[in-house]
Amino acid sequence: MSKKYQEEYEVGFTPRLVMEEASRCLLCLDAPCSTSCPAGTDPAKFIRSLRFKNVKGAAETVRINNVLGAICARVCPTERYCQEGCSRSGIDKPIDIGRIQRYITDFEDATKMEILEVKEPNGKKVAVIGSGPSGLTVAAELAKEGFKVTIYEKEAKAGGYLRYGIPEYRLPNEIVDKEIKRIVELGVDIVLNTKVGEDVKIEELRKENDAVILAVGASEGKMLPMFENNRKVIKAVDWLKKTKARKGNVKVPNNVLVIGGGDVAMDVVTSLKLLGCPHVTDVVYEQFSEFRASKKELTGAQAEGVTIIDGYVPTAVARGGIVKFKHRVIPAELKIKADLIILAVGQVSNVNGLGVTLEKGEVNQKGCRVEGTNVFFAGDIGHGEKTVVYGVRSGKEVAFEVKRFLGGKK
Amino acid sequence: MVRKDLSITFMGVKFPNPFCLSSSPVGNCYDMCAKAYRSGWGGVVFKTIGPKHYLIDEVSPRFDALTKEAEPFVGFKNMEQIAEHSLEENLADLRRLKKEFPNNVLIASIMGSNEKDWEELARLVTEAGADMIELNFSCPQMTSHAMGSDVGSNPELCRKYCAAVRRSTKLPFMAKMTPNITDMCDPAIASIEGGADGIAAINTIKSIINVDLDKKVGLPIINGKSSISGYSGKAVKPVALRFIQQMKTNPKLKNVDISGIGGIETWEDAAEFILLGCKNLQVTTGIMQYGYRIVEDMKNGLEHYMEEQGVDHLEDLVGLANKNIIPAEELDRDYIVYPEINSDKCVGCGRCVISCYDGAHQAMEWNKETRRPNCNHDKCVGCLLCGLVCPVGAIKPGERVLKPGRKEKNLKKMVLQETVEKL
Ligand SMILES: Cc1cc2nc3c(=O)[nH]c(=O)nc-3n(C[C@H](O)[C@H](O)[C@H](O)COP(=O)(O)OP(=O)(O)OC[C@H]3O[C@@H](n4cnc5c(N)ncnc54)[C@H](O)[C@@H]3O)c2cc1C
Ligand SMILES: Cc1cc2nc3c(=O)[nH]c(=O)nc-3n(C[C@H](O)[C@H](O)[C@H](O)COP(=O)(O)O)c2cc1C
Ligand code: SF4
Ligand code: SF4
Ligand code: SF4
Repeated sequence: MSKKYQEEYEVGFTPRLVMEEASRCLLCLDAPCSTSCPAGTDPAKFIRSLRFKNVKGAAETVRINNVLGAICARVCPTERYCQEGCSRSGIDKPIDIGRIQRYITDFEDATKMEILEVKEPNGKKVAVIGSGPSGLTVAAELAKEGFKVTIYEKEAKAGGYLRYGIPEYRLPNEIVDKEIKRIVELGVDIVLNTKVGEDVKIEELRKENDAVILAVGASEGKMLPMFENNRKVIKAVDWLKKTKARKGNVKVPNNVLVIGGGDVAMDVVTSLKLLGCPHVTDVVYEQFSEFRASKKELTGAQAEGVTIIDGYVPTAVARGGIVKFKHRVIPAELKIKADLIILAVGQVSNVNGLGVTLEKGEVNQKGCRVEGTNVFFAGDIGHGEKTVVYGVRSGKEVAFEVKRFLGGKK
Repeated sequence: MVRKDLSITFMGVKFPNPFCLSSSPVGNCYDMCAKAYRSGWGGVVFKTIGPKHYLIDEVSPRFDALTKEAEPFVGFKNMEQIAEHSLEENLADLRRLKKEFPNNVLIASIMGSNEKDWEELARLVTEAGADMIELNFSCPQMTSHAMGSDVGSNPELCRKYCAAVRRSTKLPFMAKMTPNITDMCDPAIASIEGGADGIAAINTIKSIINVDLDKKVGLPIINGKSSISGYSGKAVKPVALRFIQQMKTNPKLKNVDISGIGGIETWEDAAEFILLGCKNLQVTTGIMQYGYRIVEDMKNGLEHYMEEQGVDHLEDLVGLANKNIIPAEELDRDYIVYPEINSDKCVGCGRCVISCYDGAHQAMEWNKETRRPNCNHDKCVGCLLCGLVCPVGAIKPGERVLKPGRKEKNLKKMVLQETVEKL
């Protein structure tokens, strides 16, 4: 029953198809795709390498620029980034850059290429808190430069939302494992089951290390007060985590109500459908015209047969799982009874004991360093968009700043 | 990260890598050559410099391209002659290039109309600081019959002009051959005997690549007319490889250094020229279409290939394929390889059946119900045309059998290609 959930939804390119797609690329001057990849993965260059039969060179470009290249290839909302300004759109449709990147990183994996190299140890130690995309990237970038890096992660496995959020059919854990393995092979230590602020004090880490990087993400789901302590209610990220950890072997009820309309909600409703849930109803605050979810995720969910109702806010919840909604604009009401209610209304960060404060979910400091300290921050708690590739970008930026900071001191 | 040393010595001069601009508009002036060096090219063959008395007067437009299906540039035709800039400008550019890029190789291409011209030009470019010289015996669209490919197809003129150049320079020089000839070995041997140190091949092939069906004139159209002129690009690679292989296996030429030219775009093309005996490579059409940047992937791809092959010096790959190109009468004709159809890959288009019927031996049978092919071994001759046309690579060389009445041999030990699939 969970086979559909376990298998990658999107099929990869064959050698012939990837060459056909690369042949559509116009090999542009000042290529817009490369300037709009947040992580600087340089798609114009890797597509050109592929086009000129240098797949190994293409793999080098991806990997050197983006230590999570195989993950980004699968989860980047490319229509907002690299593919957005693609010149090919002037003819028909943009180049499928994500899928080309996936072909290249699959090739890298299949041929067991070892691309990344580590410089001589420079004697400096760095602690990274959190092993999501931003923590992994900053760790890898600093390890490459010769820093001794230790990541502290509160969960039993590394990866953050890569491991516990994005569902298996979009990002198999096998891929996450392989990307993390490459980073561990650079000499990065990952200490699991250790919550900084509880199990280890941030002050200790600051003393023991030359720099500490907070990359704790927004790893908790939001609750709406009316659903507090309701036994039928679960937060989306908790449900996704449990489902992915159990490889989809979870019991799905007959009739599930999901509240929320972002990508997280789309992942929940699509997962439910792939797991065989017959009735999945998603009620969304936004109207379709203002939807936050990416088009690909939305159409994917609709194709699986999810009922999506837009423009309604929950007003009350009664015992037995009955939720009342009213429309935000027109006089209309809705009443839905469900076996399970999943709340996908956003995620929040928990920075207790980490010595920083947040403002609108971001550390209230300019740049990426807490003024007057050796503490830096990256990823979802930093400034910028809340996506994996932004995590990579911010990881690269913070690594650069840490290097400058520590280099400048001595 | 792969890191291999691509340096190689050609005609006694060490190149940082074997990739050079071939003489053409891609190396027309200082700025272009400087950009090329900065992009990673090992050397530059500057656009052919002619004698002062030969006035250049070019046509417009001057190019056309041969296409096939969605491919915009299979082959390329040009009607251009030699350098448009003045002799003084060209010599000044050579001087400046050598001064500013001492570690890259600078090759001057020259073309005269008599011995005096050749001597004079060789002297001038030597004085300007070129590292080596290329004699252009091969442009097929010169407006003078004393110049260009008419010289390259006449061994005596090749010998005479090489001797003239030898008299006036100590620099190593190569003679650039025309493919508009049956046997390139004759002019190549004459050139070496005249004093050349190496051979460059090929220049462009005489061609008419398209005819405008309304105006009834070849393309490009120059005031209602067109001319036969040089063809280059990917489509000419097979012709170039053939001439190079023949020269490399000629007893009188086998130790002569050759610079390979013709349709090089990728590291794979480059590796083919190297395996057939070239120590140096030159490119024009690929650059005209895609820019100097193509050298990045040619270099990096070649480094990866060296890594896969386990060699540290490019030199070690030179000529490795020559011994495996033998006369047709010496090939093993004792066996047949039947096509093996992978029914999981097959999409049921029937192209193999069409090609086998209309272009081979009517062996590929078609099951109308399942829409799948089946090879009838009684008719199949093992030509494997089916595998070449299959759009998904579902057909590859399979079972090998001895032809009836042939001497028993171990068919498993034969070296066969694994696939006929073309991407
Ligand atoms: C369901 C879902 C789907 C998504 N889909 C996409 C997508 O398709 N494409 C995309 O680009 N983005 C997607 N995102 C967003 C993306 O996952 C995040 O932007 C990204 O993971 C943020 O990276 P991060 O490194 O800042 O934090 P996280 O990935 O949140 O990682 C933070 C890590 O820190 C750990 N941690 C927290 N506090 C502590 C502590 N005190 N001590 C030790 N460890 C701690 C956490 O356990 C976690 O492992 C999705 C998010 C979710 C929830
Ligand atoms: C537009 C054009 C101009 C050329 N001019 C010269 C020239 O001046 N001298 C010369 O030796 N060859 C000249 N050539 C030939 C090229 O140097 C080269 O030998 C030939 O194009 C084959 O290589 P390619 O397939 O890489 O283009 C010219 C070719 C082209 C396309
Ligand atoms: S990393 Fe993501 S945004 Fe950047 S090129 Fe690759 S797929 Fe596009
Ligand atoms: S913008 Fe599009 S067409 Fe241009 S180089 Fe990038 S992928 Fe190719
Ligand atoms: S050409 Fe290939 S895909 Fe088409 S029918 Fe034959 S084997 Fe099948």
